[in-house]
Amino acid sequence: MSSAASPGSPSPEAPSNNPSAFLSQITGAKVSVKLNSGVEYRGDLQCVDGYMNIALEQTEEYVEGELKNKYGDVFVRGNNVLYIGVE
Amino acid sequence: MLFFSFYKTLIDEEVIVELKNDMSIRGTLKSVDQFLNIKLDDISVLDEIKYPHLSSVKNVFIRGSVVRYVHLPAAVVDTTLLEDASRKEAASQAAKAGGR
Amino acid sequence: MADVTTADQLDDSVVSEPLDLVRLSLSERVFVKLKGDREIRGTLHGYDSHCNLVLSEVEETVYVMDDDSDVLKTIKKQSEMLFVRGDAVVLISPPQRT
Repeated sequence: MSSAASPGSPSPEAPSNNPSAFLSQITGAKVSVKLNSGVEYRGDLQCVDGYMNIALEQTEEYVEGELKNKYGDVFVRGNNVLYIGVE
Repeated sequence: MLFFSFYKTLIDEEVIVELKNDMSIRGTLKSVDQFLNIKLDDISVLDEIKYPHLSSVKNVFIRGSVVRYVHLPAAVVDTTLLEDASRKEAASQAAKAGGR
Repeated sequence: MADVTTADQLDDSVVSEPLDLVRLSLSERVFVKLKGDREIRGTLHGYDSHCNLVLSEVEETVYVMDDDSDVLKTIKKQSEMLFVRGDAVVLISPPQRT
């Protein structure tokens, strides 16, 4: 435990130190979501839940690096997600 | 629990269950449980040539997890009721999450 | 306290959690991508948190590699009312919202 994280003095920037806080911080950002199948979705992150279900806006679907489809909104079921990255 | 209740309204209706191994079984829905395991009566396998294994079987118990689709008769499904029930289920889940 | 948030989430059509996107698509045509190179278009009538779905006037498209050649074949199937088990669902896309 570092002194910054001591119980008496919660630092304002502390939340960024865990993954789910990272996810809530990047809502609204342009992200790329890679699925286990290798397919990738790029769009604006609307929200994420505890299952890592994801809602994206203005989404582009890339298969083997090639743009295959565009969707206005997309719901991605969390179990298929490999990673979420900020563009 | 929504689809458990939904399935209970379909008991005694004829359905076609398509499994994840591509096999399709037609039969009368006789019972269902919370895992959406299904019991069918008076079954017939759609592609008998390819799947002769069940040609002498009259009824089956299907584990819910191996189901891909269930084809239903549209006439017995109250779509408005189902939509309202889906919204209610979503609201009750949100209430649970909010109370956490 | 919990009741207040529930009412808020129900009343407006804001997407505050991913499944809201699915809820707002009830009685609309949706596109669903499934495992095993399958796609479905249909009118959404029911869903739950596992992504189990019930759709009507469904057109299913299955993509298969032809046995001997490397040609990608598409098979189309229709169904008047279809229950889809949630574990096969990859993606749900509602119609374009304005």
